[in-house]
Amino acid sequence: MKKKIAIQDAASWILRVGVITSILIMTLGLLISFFHGHLTLFRIENRKFNENPHLLFKQIWRGEGFAVIELGILFLIFTPILRVAASVVLFALEEHDWMYTVITFVVLVLTLTAFFFLK
Amino acid sequence: MSHLEVLKWVFEIMLASFFGGILGAITGLGGGIVIVPFLTLLMNVPIQVAIGASIISVIAVSSGAGSVYVRDRVTNIRIAMFLEIWTAAGAVVGAGILARFLNGSELTILFGFSLLLSLIPVLAKIGEELPKGVKNDALANFLKLNSSYYDMKLQKEIPYNVTGIPASMGIMFLAGIISGLLGIGAGVLKVLAHEIAMKVPSKVSTATSNFMIGVTAATAAGIYLRQGLIVPYLAAPVALGVILGAFTGTRLMEKMSNARIRQVFALALGVLGIEMVLRGFGAKF
Repeated sequence: MKKKIAIQDAASWILRVGVITSILIMTLGLLISFFHGHLTLFRIENRKFNENPHLLFKQIWRGEGFAVIELGILFLIFTPILRVAASVVLFALEEHDWMYTVITFVVLVLTLTAFFFLK
Repeated sequence: MSHLEVLKWVFEIMLASFFGGILGAITGLGGGIVIVPFLTLLMNVPIQVAIGASIISVIAVSSGAGSVYVRDRVTNIRIAMFLEIWTAAGAVVGAGILARFLNGSELTILFGFSLLLSLIPVLAKIGEELPKGVKNDALANFLKLNSSYYDMKLQKEIPYNVTGIPASMGIMFLAGIISGLLGIGAGVLKVLAHEIAMKVPSKVSTATSNFMIGVTAATAAGIYLRQGLIVPYLAAPVALGVILGAFTGTRLMEKMSNARIRQVFALALGVLGIEMVLRGFGAKF
């Protein structure tokens, strides 16, 4: 018989892996920026977050520390959203708890709406 | 700037964030209460950019501490999911609709005063270890919200009931509106709803709030990203420090008594209330 995956364990795993991955990516980016001499207080004011994903990956490919840090921050931001998405699936497939599947799905839709569309 | 100055600067930010992370993990508040005044007053960071960094720190504390509390079954995942609907809806209404009509500084003052007012019911039960005589209300029964957790301090399984769901829904909706509008207050109203309306044990309250604030903050992060208020060279050291603090804080919190956790929360509540009132009146922190 297949052992049921507890939602708590899945959520814990996603949060932990997400956090540790983003820590490693951000540290790497900070180190690259540091050794290139880019990491300065001055840069705080004039380098804002780059929103263009295409450009972001081009910069990461070129090994720019700043872009690597941005990737780490994006990982961090998407970790809790991914946790909600996983809960939708687990409430449905593992728990067969349809009330909470719907509740969690509504949370996911509202969160994504707010994240992508609100000004 | 020399390499040494940069290292010192990164280290100072990480250290302050570390303490923010500990406090955030113990109280369920995130870390902004320490990080925002530190960055604005000592590091000369503009307030909006400091709030942007603090939103990232809330996500970091929520995921770091949340992963421990949910693994140890202190978090009430059903309460979290059900209430997140109301916060998320509040954030959409707040940022999407109300932001056009409301004045940020007046709202901040109002928020600060309501936090100070909410100190009264928290202080009224300041020494209470576990809530007594709480009965599930009809919605809590329907939603199967009552549960139990293993208390490492008391060394036994503690069952608890949940009440006041309609009031909590209202508070959570308000919490969402405030976060959507101001990018702050993700945690404090959630803890208050758990403590005052739902009357769950403080550890469950901290852990469940901790679990939820990441989702609310991720919503606000989208808005702040588009406005260019999340500055990676600042957010990254803050996030690193806060995560280390959060993991440390969970060790402390699980071994503390519920009464002590509530005392730390009450103190943070008072400080945050004063911070908000001053900020609303134009203080740049």
